[in-house]
Amino acid sequence: MIAMDVKEIESGYGEVQILWGVSLQLQEGHLTTLVGSNGSGKTTLLRTVMGLIPAWKGTVNFDGQDVTRLSPHTRAQMGLVMIPEGRQLFTDLTVMENLEMGATPGRARAGFQRNVEWIFDLFPRLEERVRQVAGTLSGGEQQMLAIARGLMSNPQILMLDEPSLGLSPLLVLNLFEVIRRLKEQGHTMLLVEQNVQMALAVSDYAYVLSNGRIEIEGEAKRVREMESVRKAYLGL
Amino acid sequence: MNIDALVPSSIDGLMLGFVYGLAAMGLTLIFGVMRVINLAHGPVIALGMFAVYLIGTQFGVNPYLGLIAVLVLGLVLGIVMYFVAVHRVINAPELTTLLATFSVNLMIIGLGTVVFTTTPRAIDMDLGAFRTGAITILGTKVVAVLIAIAVTVGLYLFLYRTRVGKSIRAVANNRAAAELMGINTTGVLALSFGIGIMLAMTSGGLIATLFSFTILAGGVYELKSFVIVVLGGLGNPTGALVGGIVLGLLEGLTTIFMPVGWVPIIEYGVFVLILLIRPTGLFGAR
Repeated sequence: MIAMDVKEIESGYGEVQILWGVSLQLQEGHLTTLVGSNGSGKTTLLRTVMGLIPAWKGTVNFDGQDVTRLSPHTRAQMGLVMIPEGRQLFTDLTVMENLEMGATPGRARAGFQRNVEWIFDLFPRLEERVRQVAGTLSGGEQQMLAIARGLMSNPQILMLDEPSLGLSPLLVLNLFEVIRRLKEQGHTMLLVEQNVQMALAVSDYAYVLSNGRIEIEGEAKRVREMESVRKAYLGL
Repeated sequence: MNIDALVPSSIDGLMLGFVYGLAAMGLTLIFGVMRVINLAHGPVIALGMFAVYLIGTQFGVNPYLGLIAVLVLGLVLGIVMYFVAVHRVINAPELTTLLATFSVNLMIIGLGTVVFTTTPRAIDMDLGAFRTGAITILGTKVVAVLIAIAVTVGLYLFLYRTRVGKSIRAVANNRAAAELMGINTTGVLALSFGIGIMLAMTSGGLIATLFSFTILAGGVYELKSFVIVVLGGLGNPTGALVGGIVLGLLEGLTTIFMPVGWVPIIEYGVFVLILLIRPTGLFGAR
């Protein structure tokens, strides 16, 4: 089943067009990855899908509804949740308050306690620091909290923008282990990563974005084998 | 110099400081959440004075009961003000929001002068006084302090213990992230502005039970609020209360050693000094 259908999206900033008719589909329960070099439009695409910048043309369909004109918080309330690049935590609030804010959508309130337990199982470090102000956490812990806060909303679709950015190699491994576990639990995810090799290794399906257009798409396994991808993104 | 007045004057200043702090809290909350300096702060304080006065004279309601109506009125007025004057320029540079709130200031002062003239009014309020030796404490001041404390505690509990209050802090901290988490940030901004105006009007209502006033009387308290906000750290509501108390005390002490005319000079001297030495406020903003 298709969880989200993005059709012919065009958008950009001011006069500058970045995306030139991008279409993409997320299958329910699948981990889809979006790769591409810097400036190819990955973040712009996520921001447009989320409604942070308007789509000039094209539609975003989600939850059986055209959400193209809805505000970001309405989309989040419906279960379309993005974990932004650079964490964007509430640094003055405690870890617990950050989790509570993640559970803002009405649909996430009932299962709050259960979700908190699940989060602490996934990230034991956060339980130790639950009363600590988020700004005082280490970089790795902050990234965990950013993901945890997103998960607290019971997302139907979770979009992760460059989650491994700025993490040490060991923490990157931990992160991908968490992503693999989330996938096993049946979450529908869209992963944007600069760590192309690892992203392709855990994903079901992949899109390669280049100059604001989808250049290649296919099963992640296949994409990984392609000569052009190996040359351009894997350095092989 | 009158050293006998030291204790009574300090107590008097200290008590006024709580009310000043309440006014400043409204200014600093709005700034903290949306980085808007509300230049209509003074006129709104004056509106609070007139609201309590009019509710009292027109309907014969006790001023303290009238304050409850002022709380609601302030909240509604603030939300309307947000959508009329602030929302459309919320992402514009600071000068634009300054001008927007300043135009609200001019409108309130203009209309208020036409409707109420500038004849001084006063609320006839006498709760007696406590006397021991040279110290006289007016009952109205005691009640004003208690109400100021109650409102401050209420605000604190709201911001730190309720979901809506926490989302106000979240929006203040990172508005974009709050929107991504499903928080209706426009609604939260409007509510915060409403609460800021509510605090200003409430302090105005309390001041009206202590001194006579005109529609222009808010200006003095607006300026005091700026000094307090700088003392307590911009965007820090609890710092504002402490800053208010410090300023009140300073006023009380100043009047013992020099003529009343020197009070503003001392106040702004302190203001400039703090801006030079500790621009984040005595208690540091965050």
